[in-house]
Amino acid sequence: MPWRLWNFVLVFGLALLCNAHPIYAETSDKLQFSGFARVVLGYLDDKNAEYLNYDNSLSIDNESLIGLQADYQMMDSLAVTGQLIGHSGEQRDSGIEWLYLTYTPTNALKLKLGRQRTPFLNYSDVIDVGYAYPWATLPQQTYPRHFFSNFDGLMASYEIPSTLFLMNIEGYWGYFKDKVVVSEREMEAKTTGFHGLISHISFKNWNLRGSYHQGTTSVTLDDVTQFSGLLSQLGFSQSADSLATTGVTEVFQFSANYETVDYFVRGELNRIKADFIFVPDTDGYFLSTGYNYFPFSSYISYSKNTTDYEQPASDIPIGLSPVLDGLAYSYLNIFEQLPVNSSEAYTLGTRWDLQPGLALKGEVSLIKGADNESAFFNIKDTAFDREALLYLIALEWVF
Amino acid sequence: MGILVKKYLACLVLWYFVFSTAAHAAQSVMVVANTGDQSIQLNRQQVRSLFMGGVIPYQLKAVALPPENHTRVLFNTKIIGLTESRIQSYWAQMRFTGRKRAPREFENETSLLQFLLRNVGATGYLPAGMDVPEQLTVIYTIP
Repeated sequence: MPWRLWNFVLVFGLALLCNAHPIYAETSDKLQFSGFARVVLGYLDDKNAEYLNYDNSLSIDNESLIGLQADYQMMDSLAVTGQLIGHSGEQRDSGIEWLYLTYTPTNALKLKLGRQRTPFLNYSDVIDVGYAYPWATLPQQTYPRHFFSNFDGLMASYEIPSTLFLMNIEGYWGYFKDKVVVSEREMEAKTTGFHGLISHISFKNWNLRGSYHQGTTSVTLDDVTQFSGLLSQLGFSQSADSLATTGVTEVFQFSANYETVDYFVRGELNRIKADFIFVPDTDGYFLSTGYNYFPFSSYISYSKNTTDYEQPASDIPIGLSPVLDGLAYSYLNIFEQLPVNSSEAYTLGTRWDLQPGLALKGEVSLIKGADNESAFFNIKDTAFDREALLYLIALEWVF
Repeated sequence: MGILVKKYLACLVLWYFVFSTAAHAAQSVMVVANTGDQSIQLNRQQVRSLFMGGVIPYQLKAVALPPENHTRVLFNTKIIGLTESRIQSYWAQMRFTGRKRAPREFENETSLLQFLLRNVGATGYLPAGMDVPEQLTVIYTIP
């Protein structure tokens, strides 16, 4: 915690130094500094659970952060970008989030090489920049926090102009290696052959985005791997295979935004498919509509997700011997421990644009889950009814 | 007496036309470019793409006015079709994902016009009805 706090203070100090001049501190035409910050105050109106680490006390250190970005234009077509983020929350590590080279051979083509944000969903690569979206927080039902936020590799972006629309196609390839938290367990994860294709079309007031992502992920879970090896040695291959810690993960995404000066409608849906234990298949979507009345915009949103794990195998006989019964119990217990995080959320909120680059948001969400599921709650009391109100106030700043 | 009334009426009619033209001009914008090819005409989608950082078939580079400027408000409302806060959010998303940079901003219409005159390819928006020097081309006006 002291190290995390130190990182946060360090980035904040750097940001203040760079922001001695107003918006876009520019030390020269070639070197530009910019940054973003958010302070999020949250309160969960229920003493029997936590949600995204919010409980029934006011907390400001879950999602607050500050980021500093430096862009250096080395040549007309070559630039380097670095981004440093200080998180106040324990779930995210502070440090270098981005460091990549950008090569722009033509106006339409851009190549980026290095550490970059993972563009799974519409707001995945800008999730830390709260100023960029209307809501105080992106819905957990559609934007699960276990997604890794960056990858190392190459991304190509190509724009196709037309008199009727603007189309952008992005493709990337790379790898990821870091600690992730999945199903309430922290584990070392490695994704190789990680690639994706993203298509984005702007047409009049419409913005459409569709994407597909795939990678082979392996996680280090020594206890599970050893148990799987034991099952395999004993001949229970189906059970052993069902505890695989390596497999292909796929993400499908589609979003549509319709915006005018007066109102907006935004929707997004995604499907995550993973063929190994601890990562469930998930379907999620959200729909949000808002009314703009300068300098405010008010919105209502609904988000929902359903998760589904692979069913356990049944090749370990039960009732033949106490040893086999113990083995089967241990095996089934692994599946019973997996948290089922299907839930839905109704959100009502308002964004107040105080001035260009500064916005204040307030929202309240009703989060609901089934009685026998975790629904993203960290349950303190078994009597908890899987229903709670989350209040958030967020101050968003870009500079 | 009759001549005097006619003069007053003529002045009134002239004042009405000047005033109504000025009032109309203040409620409309035109997009002006420093381009050698004076046949270039863009449609609304292309203007929108150009000022939102997209690619169009011409070598044009957008420049803008500051957020509180009345001409910018008109441009946002009538051509981009988004609120100022939404446009600011868009540029935050583009900047911090390394995709695009917002157009360079100028303090007022006069300084923007001077920049347009000095830089080939520079494209900006100005109040409709404003005198445009010959070397600049009006490439889009609100129908």
